[in-house]
Amino acid sequence: MPETAAETPTPTTAEAVLTISNLCSGYGSVQVLHDLSFEVRNEIFTILGANGAGKTTLLRTLAHLLPVTSGSIGFRGTDVTHAAAHETARLGVGYVPQEAAVFPDLTILENLQVGAMIGDRAFDECLEEVFQTFPDLRSKTHLRAGNLSGGESRMVACGRALMQDPKVLLLDEPTAGLSPLYVEQFFETIESIHRTRNVAVLLTEQNATKALGIADRVMVLSLGEGSTPVDAAEMTKERLKEAYKL
Amino acid sequence: MLDWLDAFLISGLFGVVQIIGLGLLVHLQMGLTRVANFGVAGFWGLGLYVFGILYGKVDWPFGDPWQFLVCAIAATAASALAGLFVAWLISDLDVDGALVGTLGFATVIFLLATAWSDLTGGAAGLGGLGFPYDAGPAKTNEFIWFVLTTAIVAGILAYVLWVHRSPYGRLLIAVGTNEPLARSLGKSSTRAKLTLFTITSGMMGLLGVMQAVMFRFIIPANVTINITLAALAGLILGGITRAWGAVVGVLFTVALFDIVIQFYVPLPQEWYTQAIPVAREAIFGLALVLVLLFRPKGMLGEMKRPQLMRRIHDFK
Ligand SMILES: Nc1ncnc2c1ncn2[C@@H]1O[C@H](COP(=O)(O)OP(=O)(O)O)[C@@H](O)[C@H]1O
Ligand SMILES: [Mg+2]
Repeated sequence: MPETAAETPTPTTAEAVLTISNLCSGYGSVQVLHDLSFEVRNEIFTILGANGAGKTTLLRTLAHLLPVTSGSIGFRGTDVTHAAAHETARLGVGYVPQEAAVFPDLTILENLQVGAMIGDRAFDECLEEVFQTFPDLRSKTHLRAGNLSGGESRMVACGRALMQDPKVLLLDEPTAGLSPLYVEQFFETIESIHRTRNVAVLLTEQNATKALGIADRVMVLSLGEGSTPVDAAEMTKERLKEAYKL
Repeated sequence: MLDWLDAFLISGLFGVVQIIGLGLLVHLQMGLTRVANFGVAGFWGLGLYVFGILYGKVDWPFGDPWQFLVCAIAATAASALAGLFVAWLISDLDVDGALVGTLGFATVIFLLATAWSDLTGGAAGLGGLGFPYDAGPAKTNEFIWFVLTTAIVAGILAYVLWVHRSPYGRLLIAVGTNEPLARSLGKSSTRAKLTLFTITSGMMGLLGVMQAVMFRFIIPANVTINITLAALAGLILGGITRAWGAVVGVLFTVALFDIVIQFYVPLPQEWYTQAIPVAREAIFGLALVLVLLFRPKGMLGEMKRPQLMRRIHDFK
């Protein structure tokens, strides 16, 4: 278990995009996350957990929308534990929340434009890449995001995060509530984003089967406590059951 | 040359233009960014009084127009700084907190205007003001001043329309609808709100300066909550999220009463002092209730950004 992350960069920490050490967080006096330690490399790292396990709380904390109670967060070798949300975003953390992931009063194009407020790359180039990833959006740019279906909003939210040209994407249950056909397609898209853009992906899921298919490594979160991350291939049903009980 | 223009009509039109200007600025604060501001009278009144005190009570080594310009810039800056300060105070508060904070600020300005009488003249008022030019009779000067003020408000409208299609405006809308998500876009939402309040409060202060010169006399009764309510009623009636909402709403409220009914509807003379002011407030209130019940997005309806975007971008 990579618990030594806080020390000087070793070869493993150097390749880590996110290094989470002894992280505790929650809402006011309610502690939700207990002493989490893991690292996300340039990979698809999946966090499995039942409803209420603390997945959303973890991603909010990593996006710095919730303060860290104790422990630390490192991003590509820099300590960002107490950075502001907009600073982390500038460093390269793209966040797609589980709910209310788009700006409903803005059009699709405007949602993508607000994503592009940071990053050095040309807007048109980024936009073209997003359209290649989500071709459905191309003809709908002028539509109000608040009127879109669940799947379309998810694409817009994901596209907006990609416009930020992130180094790591935090996706909170990206397929929750989508029809089975969409789910498969969305996972494929996530995989292709990771492979073609060299973006690390940290995603959370409730349902293990589909998510395991694209994951490199998996961690199970249960009542705010994390299991030791393992390779997705090694995550057998028995180990899953054991981990869920934790 | 201005025979057709009654002096009262000029001041009525001037009032309408002022309220439109304030409504437009509140639209940026409450309509786009969703930061409540019940202290419009405070930011406007601070500009009014700072200008009045500097212009009327200080011995300047130079005359107009420099005296006017220096005092006007200082008064605008004072309101802008007050906006920055109040925005900082309320930046982490919810709508209720912002409401109380801004209302509190306006109350402080009113109390200072009343109580600090060495400086403000207190309830007796502050005079010694005048137009920074002399073009002949008072009515001509007033008319020129009205035109200048209208030009400033047209400038504010142009600014609002620009904000609507600029990256800054999109950021403000993002902050207004979902501030946590907006913070993950890489721009400080606090900074966006502080900038907004600095600019809009400064413009409110400048409108206060225009008022001070137009009437050449200032009393604390000028800076009561009435001015805030007029701007808010007009804006909400016209549609708080629409760029043109304040213009349309104020025409249907303040302009309808203070101009159309006052000047063009033949009513018994004694009504103007008693019945009409009361009816005005009652009908504003009733109109507000009706709009909120039946057309909560205002008379113009919802903000129609898709059409706007289609027109602007027009590409597939
Ligand atoms: N805003 C909040 N205030 C207090 N407690 C919360 C809040 N949001 C979530 N929680 C609690 O935190 C725990 C974890 O929730 P969450 O992170 O949303 O879980 P998940 O995303 O895995 O379903 C739950 O017990 C939930 O009740
Ligand atoms: Mg969740």
